[in-house]
Amino acid sequence: MNKQEFISKLKEQLELESEIDMDTNLKELDEWDSMNAMILIGFVSDTFGTVLKADDIKEMTTVESLIAKIGEEKITAAS
Amino acid sequence: MGAKINAIEYFFPEKLVTNDDLKLEFPDHDFSKFEQKIGIRNRYIAGDSETALDLAVKSCEKLFKEHDKSEIDYVLYCTQSPEYFLPTTACILQHKLGLRKNIGAFDFNLGCSGYTYGVSLAKSLINSNQAKHVLLVTAETYSKYLHPKDKSNRAIFGDAASSTIISYSEEENIGNFLFGTDGSGFDKLIVRNGAARYDFNPAEEELVYGSDNVYSNNHLYMNGPEIFNFTNQVIPGFTNEILTANNLEKGDIDQFIFHQANAFMLNTIRKTAGIEASKFFIDLMDGGNTVSCTIPIALKKYLDKRASTHKEKIVIVGFGVGLSWSGGLLEL
Repeated sequence: MNKQEFISKLKEQLELESEIDMDTNLKELDEWDSMNAMILIGFVSDTFGTVLKADDIKEMTTVESLIAKIGEEKITAAS
Repeated sequence: MGAKINAIEYFFPEKLVTNDDLKLEFPDHDFSKFEQKIGIRNRYIAGDSETALDLAVKSCEKLFKEHDKSEIDYVLYCTQSPEYFLPTTACILQHKLGLRKNIGAFDFNLGCSGYTYGVSLAKSLINSNQAKHVLLVTAETYSKYLHPKDKSNRAIFGDAASSTIISYSEEENIGNFLFGTDGSGFDKLIVRNGAARYDFNPAEEELVYGSDNVYSNNHLYMNGPEIFNFTNQVIPGFTNEILTANNLEKGDIDQFIFHQANAFMLNTIRKTAGIEASKFFIDLMDGGNTVSCTIPIALKKYLDKRASTHKEKIVIVGFGVGLSWSGGLLEL
C-alpha cells in the first residue's frame, strides 16, 4: 500500500466526508470524535498490526504523523 | 447434580432518550453515523428519584409472575450503583421483594464482567449444596454518574436491571468459567470522587477528554481507546481459553453472547477471534450498553427468538471496568 492508497483507505474506513491529504490534522476536522478514534485504532490494528495507544491518539496531528506512528514500512508491506 | 438457568427477565426505566433527543443537545454530532457504527438508537434513563434498586425490584417482580419467590434461598446482587455505602443493597431487595429470611444475600461490585461472575458464583453455591434457587440480579444506573456534557458516554450507556433464577438440576447445564483481572487499569474506567480515597468535591473543575467530551473527577471517566485495546487484545484469546477449559471447539458453539459494549468493538473482537457473524450476538440498538445487564438482556432476546428447541451451547463473556473479565459455557 502506498501513501495515497493509505489516505483513501483511511477516508473510507472512517467514512470521512472531508477531503484529506498528508497535511490534514485529523483531530481538527469537524467530523472528528472519539468514535473515529476507536475506528482508527481498530483499522490500524487489523490492517497493520500496530496498536495505537490513547497517548498515540493524543499526540497524533497530521496524517503524516499517523503514518509515522504506524511505521511507514508496515504500510508499504500491507496489501 | 448440577445447575441451570431457569428464567431471565429484565427491566428498562420509562424515560427513553433517542438519538434524535441527543441530537437536539449536541447538534454538531453525526448521530446517524453513531447509530450505524455503534449500533445504539435508544437508551433508557432512570428518573431523578429512581434508583438501580427500584429497577431491580421491577425486574424481579416480572420474574415472580411465573416463578415462586418463596423458593429463592440466595440473592446475588451485582451493582456499582448501590443504595447506600452500607448496608448491602441485597438486604433491602430481600425485604422489598418479600423473600424468605433464612436466605443468603449480598452485593458484589463489578461492572461489565458482573453477570458472568454471578452465574459462576450461583453454580458454585448450588453445587456445594449451599443453595437450590439463586436469584442473580444486576442493576445499574451509570446515567447518574455521567457529566451532562459527556456526549460519548451519554450516547453509549443506558440504565437497566436484570434478574435470573439459577436452580439445581439433575444434569450440569453450566460449564466451566474462567476469570481475569488487571487492576493496573483501574483508572481506565472510574468514578474517582465520593468514596474513601477522594471526597466528592462540589467545586471540581471540568475536564475534557477525547474529542470534545466533558467530565469532572466527580463523574464517570472512560478512556475509550485503552478499553478498546484491552478488549481486543485480551478477549479473543480468553474466548479460546474458555473453549479449551470446556473441551470444545469454536464449531461446537451455537452462539457467542458477549457483553454488548458497542457494535463496532464487538465486530472487531469477533473478527479477531475468527467467529462467524451468524453465531455472534450483536443487538444493543434498544437499550445501549447497560453494563452488567447486557448479557442477560441479550440472552433473553436470543432465547426468545431462536428457532431451535433443543439445548444449545452458548458461550458468555463479560469484560470491562476493573479491569475485569470472565466468561464460560452455558447449555440451555
